[in-house]
Amino acid sequence: MKTAVVLLLALLAEAGGNVCLSQGMREMSAASQVGSPAIVALLLRGLANPTVWLGMGLLGVFFGLYAVALSWADLSVVLPATAVGYVLNVACGAYVLHEAVPPARWAGALLIGLGICCVSWSEMRPARTVRTR
Amino acid sequence: MKTALLLAILILCGVFGDVSLAKGMKQVGALPTLRLGALLVLGSTMARNRAVLLGLLSLIAGFLTFLVLLAWADLSVIVPATSLHFVLATLGAKWILQEHISRLRWCGTVLVGLGVALLALP
Repeated sequence: MKTAVVLLLALLAEAGGNVCLSQGMREMSAASQVGSPAIVALLLRGLANPTVWLGMGLLGVFFGLYAVALSWADLSVVLPATAVGYVLNVACGAYVLHEAVPPARWAGALLIGLGICCVSWSEMRPARTVRTR
Repeated sequence: MKTALLLAILILCGVFGDVSLAKGMKQVGALPTLRLGALLVLGSTMARNRAVLLGLLSLIAGFLTFLVLLAWADLSVIVPATSLHFVLATLGAKWILQEHISRLRWCGTVLVGLGVALLALP
């Protein structure tokens, strides 16, 4: 349970960090048609942007919480569980932002949800076996 | 070719970073409580652990590769490729970290990978 709560907080920090970073980098201008030296310059210019710093701070919080979760549970449990962020993105897009979500994306979100259920169940099953012995 | 190479670097950095971080955290030990003092002790122990630092560096390298990739390739190409990360990191957990991975957990991991790949379809 505590692992789930910490992972949820980590995902919230990651989502906030990604939004800040993408907003900050967008403020630095679009990099779609530039070569590698210009991209490096863009990354360096991004370091002077406070929104980018806020994003990096939130990603630092994500890293810390992710590391704490890894100290409690196996990587093969924690990593698939982080994919719940993709499901939240789809749900927020549909219900909060009222975006049109194509069926393939709903199917993807459903598969991720099922996958996380399978992984969580696999984590709980041995504990039940031990208790019944 | 350039995009494929960067995608390979992105996936490898992610997998190596996750496996190394998980290895380091097992060496550091479980956090006993979420109090500030315990968090500070954990942070200082993590900062002195080689596997944690290697994992952090690798994850940062992967993140920078991701930012550069965004300038060259569409998300619909990048995201399905990163879905491989879930399966490869689980393989790393099995072989390097010696985690026991049941069939059910494998099924869940593959479903998550497939789901992430589906999300990128137009």
